Amino acid sequence: MEFKIFIDLMLAVEGLVKKYNKQNAVNNITFSLDGGEVVGLLGPNGAGKSTTMKCIVGLLRKTAGEISIGGHDHLSVEAKKLFSYIPETPHIYDLLTVKEHLQFIAQAYSVKNWQEKAMELMAIYELDDKQDKLGRDLSKGMRQKVSICCALLPDPQLLFFDEPMIGLDPKAIKNTKRIFNELKAKGKTILVSTHLIDSVETIADRIMIMKDGNIIGNDTLTNLKSTFNQDYDSSLEDLFLELTKDE
Amino acid sequence: MNEFKLLLRKDIFILFNNIKLILKNPLRLLPYTFVVGYFSFFYLRRGNRSTEVDTSQIGDLRDAANQVEEMNFALQNLSGGLTLLALIFLLFKLYQSTKKNVSFFSMADVNLLFTSPATASNILLYYMVRAIFPATGGAFLFTLYSTAQLNEHYDLNIFNLGIMSMGIMLFFFILSPIRFLVYTLNTKYNILPIIKNVVFALGFILGLMILIPGLMADKFWQGMFAWIGASWFDFFPLVGWSRGILTYLGHENIWIALGFITVYFLSFTLIVQVVLSNAGYYYEDVLESTKSNEEIKEKAKGKREASESTLSINSNKKLELKDFGQGAVALYWRNYVNSSRQDFHPLFGVYGLAFAGISIIFAVLSQFEWFSHHVIYGYLMTLIAIYFFAGMGRTNVGDLKKPYFILIPASWSSKFWNMIKLDIYQTLIFAFILIIPTVLIAKLSIGLILMFPLCMTMFYSTGFAIALTSAVGFDEGWDRKLIKPLIIGGVFLFGIAPAMGTGLFAYIISQQFVYGLLGICIGMGIVTAVMLHVTLDILSRLEFKEI
Repeated sequence: MEFKIFIDLMLAVEGLVKKYNKQNAVNNITFSLDGGEVVGLLGPNGAGKSTTMKCIVGLLRKTAGEISIGGHDHLSVEAKKLFSYIPETPHIYDLLTVKEHLQFIAQAYSVKNWQEKAMELMAIYELDDKQDKLGRDLSKGMRQKVSICCALLPDPQLLFFDEPMIGLDPKAIKNTKRIFNELKAKGKTILVSTHLIDSVETIADRIMIMKDGNIIGNDTLTNLKSTFNQDYDSSLEDLFLELTKDE
Repeated sequence: MNEFKLLLRKDIFILFNNIKLILKNPLRLLPYTFVVGYFSFFYLRRGNRSTEVDTSQIGDLRDAANQVEEMNFALQNLSGGLTLLALIFLLFKLYQSTKKNVSFFSMADVNLLFTSPATASNILLYYMVRAIFPATGGAFLFTLYSTAQLNEHYDLNIFNLGIMSMGIMLFFFILSPIRFLVYTLNTKYNILPIIKNVVFALGFILGLMILIPGLMADKFWQGMFAWIGASWFDFFPLVGWSRGILTYLGHENIWIALGFITVYFLSFTLIVQVVLSNAGYYYEDVLESTKSNEEIKEKAKGKREASESTLSINSNKKLELKDFGQGAVALYWRNYVNSSRQDFHPLFGVYGLAFAGISIIFAVLSQFEWFSHHVIYGYLMTLIAIYFFAGMGRTNVGDLKKPYFILIPASWSSKFWNMIKLDIYQTLIFAFILIIPTVLIAKLSIGLILMFPLCMTMFYSTGFAIALTSAVGFDEGWDRKLIKPLIIGGVFLFGIAPAMGTGLFAYIISQQFVYGLLGICIGMGIVTAVMLHVTLDILSRLEFKEI
């Protein structure tokens, strides 16, 4: 498969379609992310954000279109080495402890000297005193923290966050925002889907807004405001509500 | 407030909405149509044949059958065996009631009804009585299904089928009120130790009722069910009463059947009275069981992931396991850790020990002529069948229900191998631990030591491959639900059945079980190879269904 035109891009999505039965959940969308770019993916419930993300990471079969990650087909082993994914629902193993989850990921992604990094992540998310607790005994918020730690451990080039703040306590939300900034400073590429608009407003280089399976806005916040005749003082939330309101 | 009217109206709404859903998507009726077609086939066939049969011959046949019956231990053992199964089920349910309460409610009832100003006792009474409807329907279908083969020998009609259904329905129906009663009495009077002792004493007495006549007979297996298989055992509560009703087809005495039905209804009335006068505010007693019932339903519908920790007996075990390797090997490592917590050893567990123990006991007893070798062969074939179904259930749990299986950067074939590697090791180790002592003690053919583990592994892998192929190859929804039985049917018809046929042929020719198993192994070898090839081919199409 040829990916010549996408070679400098970290993520390239071309004509992505995902159908559930006869209904289009994602309707022929095209977009890309440059290396080091942070993009916020916004949209109302059922807009197709999660489906898009799951198609990119290979959890759902795309109906049509091409997706490349770092110049490799998104389903290839090479592509999978480049990214991590944090799902909106944390999926962790019942009979693995928190620490063992990190050991599992370290083996799967060939992470060397993982213990130090794991301890650091567990400290950030206040899991260090729960490292010997089984997955089944954790609350939903704790599971989400484990899921985030697992995604951060391999230190990937590209990160997909699908509603990462759901279920987190205020301190964990603050830490996740800080981690976004640190990842951005390190030059990582991030695609984050969230309903917490303020969490991406300050950090995102670009905003993509989806509705009914289509991308209805894809630009920097300033350009979006000028395109859709919004005041300079208006917030991303105002813009979002304006764009996604029913006709 | 008239609670009964309110609850009845709610149930009527639910019923109508279900009918509307069926009308919107009539495809939902297809599986039911298949079941109706299946029953009709047998019943219509009987109708055609019955016109050709000379009725005077039936009398002769029955006389002959009665003479044979006197010497027929097999019939006694069949009746006793079924009674024993029902008794074990009853004891298990009674024991279970000391652990967990039973619930007639849904979480919607808990959230909407329990918080409303409806009288607690009326809600309970309504739901206890309502439980009779699903039990009746289920029992009638079960009776139809199980008697489909009998209709060539008996004149089955709505009346006798209805009476037989009552026998099954009343047995299952009354268990829930009894469990509720036990839990309620325990909550109020803290009588758990007494109930437990009663259950254990009952189990002990029933055990003696098998052991004593067995030891008194020439051969154990000829006498073991002489007591619980006898007609006087019909007076034993629940199991006996139901047997008395179910055997109406044989005794054709309506008064006996009606007598037992009356005893059932009197018992139910008594139980309801005692429950209502002792239940009080039972809401918090049923909350936990209602929640877990709902979870079980969701798991069955695939809306919720089945837990891997359900049967774990060593979940708090501390482990310091080193890395096994990189990439897909992590899946094997994960399974190893998981299995270490499920049992006392990751490769061989307490359940395996119990199953192997049973086989060894059969082997030892066969030396004293308590059991023939056929019992051991039957047991081995049952285990193979269990492993086949266990393989089919494997796709509902574990790695395939986690995104990591797809996300981990490794080839599909290595991920697949690492996912099933531990299962294969466990199956082989279990099979060897079971078969080697069994063969040596019972002096069976040495070839079984090779054939049995091979057969187990192949059936397990085929079951796993069938479930995975239908889950991956077809989209969610009715097409999968319809295709899955077709795939299973196809593999069974063109793969497993010929393999079993080969085995049967080899057995008939040689009169040796080991050659029968060899025939099955040869056939299943081809089936397993084809199914694993198909699985590897479509595994890359695997989708992750977020629940």
